[in-house]
Amino acid sequence: MDFLTGVYLGYSFLAFYYIILFTLIYLQNRKDILKVPKITKKYSVSCVIPCYNEEENIGKTIDSIAKNGYKNLKKIIVVDDRSTDNSYEIMKKYEKKYPGLVIAVQTPKNTGKAAGAKNYGSKFVETELIVFTDADSFPEKGAIEKMVGFFDAENTGAVTSSVLVKNRSNFLLRMQALEYMVIKFTRKLLEYVDSIYVTPGPLAMYRAKYFFNVGGFDEKNLTEDIEITWRFLDAGYDVKMSLPSRVYSVAPRRAKEWIKQRIRWNVGGIQSIIKHKNKFFRKGILGFFVLPFFIVSWIIGISGLAFFIYRAAREVILRYASTTYSVGANTAVLSLQDLSLNPDILFYFGMMLFAAGLIFTFLSIFYEKEKEFKRPRIFDVMVYMFFYLLVYPVIILTSLYKALKGEIKW
Amino acid sequence: MKKNYFVFLQALLFTIVIFLVGFYIGMSIEGKRMVEINDYYLQSEVSLVDVLSLNKLVGSGEASCEELVRSDKELLDKVYGEARLLTQYEESGKLTNQVKNLHLKYDVLRTYLWITSIEIKKECSTNLSTIVYLYNHGETDLTNKAKQVVWSKLLLEVKEVSPEVVLIPIAADSDLVSLKAITGSYNITSFPVVIVNEKYLFYEIPPKERILELVNKSF
Repeated sequence: MDFLTGVYLGYSFLAFYYIILFTLIYLQNRKDILKVPKITKKYSVSCVIPCYNEEENIGKTIDSIAKNGYKNLKKIIVVDDRSTDNSYEIMKKYEKKYPGLVIAVQTPKNTGKAAGAKNYGSKFVETELIVFTDADSFPEKGAIEKMVGFFDAENTGAVTSSVLVKNRSNFLLRMQALEYMVIKFTRKLLEYVDSIYVTPGPLAMYRAKYFFNVGGFDEKNLTEDIEITWRFLDAGYDVKMSLPSRVYSVAPRRAKEWIKQRIRWNVGGIQSIIKHKNKFFRKGILGFFVLPFFIVSWIIGISGLAFFIYRAAREVILRYASTTYSVGANTAVLSLQDLSLNPDILFYFGMMLFAAGLIFTFLSIFYEKEKEFKRPRIFDVMVYMFFYLLVYPVIILTSLYKALKGEIKW
Repeated sequence: MKKNYFVFLQALLFTIVIFLVGFYIGMSIEGKRMVEINDYYLQSEVSLVDVLSLNKLVGSGEASCEELVRSDKELLDKVYGEARLLTQYEESGKLTNQVKNLHLKYDVLRTYLWITSIEIKKECSTNLSTIVYLYNHGETDLTNKAKQVVWSKLLLEVKEVSPEVVLIPIAADSDLVSLKAITGSYNITSFPVVIVNEKYLFYEIPPKERILELVNKSF
């Protein structure tokens, strides 16, 4: 067996392991996935909405929280991070629209990151639970109520939700819509092994006592929602997911914005890994699964890309050179001889992996019927599988490069 | 809510089982292919001894040159077909190294057949046309690899146009003393190289028509 075959088999082993792990988790828990605990206690809830230049969306976001239907919602604290547009004026109008419920506040100066505004807003919280939502996200009616029941378990520290793409008007947005559906399904499966690694900004609820115990969000981190979740896990608190609680978030509609967002997510991930590096294989599920899972996912992505580039480059050079020789020799450029009718074991492993990945993607997408997006186009799913996911390793590499150069900015 | 960390171990066991089954199937398939090629090789060995015996009989006047040339050509064609099959299996064989040894055995056999053909040509003054293709089996340089790919395609096309021609592909980097001796006599400096009827050497790929012309000249 040559070196490359060995590396490829190692890569396949890891990829198979993850697919089998998720499949087993799904099979063992499929009846419970959509269930949410019944509410036995009406916990008091405050909502904090950080806002920077969101004049287009902030009003609708406040409405979606105020009219969400949870009876014991005490306050909606809208935090303006010194916007340069009319966001603050709009907040003030909504303060009057919902007297006693909505409070519009401003940070003393621009904090530059969502974490700063979130922490500032949390200072006004006096309730048992805090829910955070982004200013460009719109929780579905009833979403908050479906999250509250999880806090009956004393150890529950945070509850996350299904984040979905609101605007699906172009191809890139449809790709992201598919991606978000796979991510939310995967995240729910991770709950069964206590490994939810992120409580995304669009809608996440925390037990206030635990939130303050861990010291709130890390304001230096670009993905404060990942980092705080790791600290919750590290502290031994459970993180749950309410799959039926949906929040629709505005996703980047242009490639440039999308790349910028993804690089920010990955650089934030790298920051979190560096911060928690001493916990690898040391303590609980964070050290034994979440951190290795993160790293291995990146290795799988990058090594997959490296293989692809290596094989593709070799093939292109070989084809180019042989075509040149064939033309000179007046022989067929392509012939039946070029077809390999005896595929090797690596080919079969690759096909099995791809098929398993495809089935998992279809399961994630079609598991739960979602209004407005019941029937994703098969063409979209294929492009998502064959091309969209292939871009991700490039993003990871770029993020690593930026993190190494110290380019850590929002 | 249920917590089941055992699932990590279950997934690991399942993955190991899948890999072991995959390896077993893969190695069985490769093993089966080797048995198949080995059988062909044994048959070719028997045929070689048969041709050698026939050669002796021709020397003593008890058999005809035509019969000897026909048997030699049939054997060479058979071995060429097996070489192509071996190459296919080799490309898809990733788990075992058995094929390398088999390849070496075939290279010895083909070298011996080439030498025998030269003798037969001298002995019988026949118009048997041979093309010997010497290449590097472990070629890593992509340009040379591409050249070898095109050479094999070209020679196959020549064989399709002129079925009477005999193709003898031999891996020159198989470190065979006999092969080194014979290539030394041709002052061959690099590979791949093609020798047509022991007279014409080609280091660069000519137009297919040039090879066909030389081959047809001998008939």
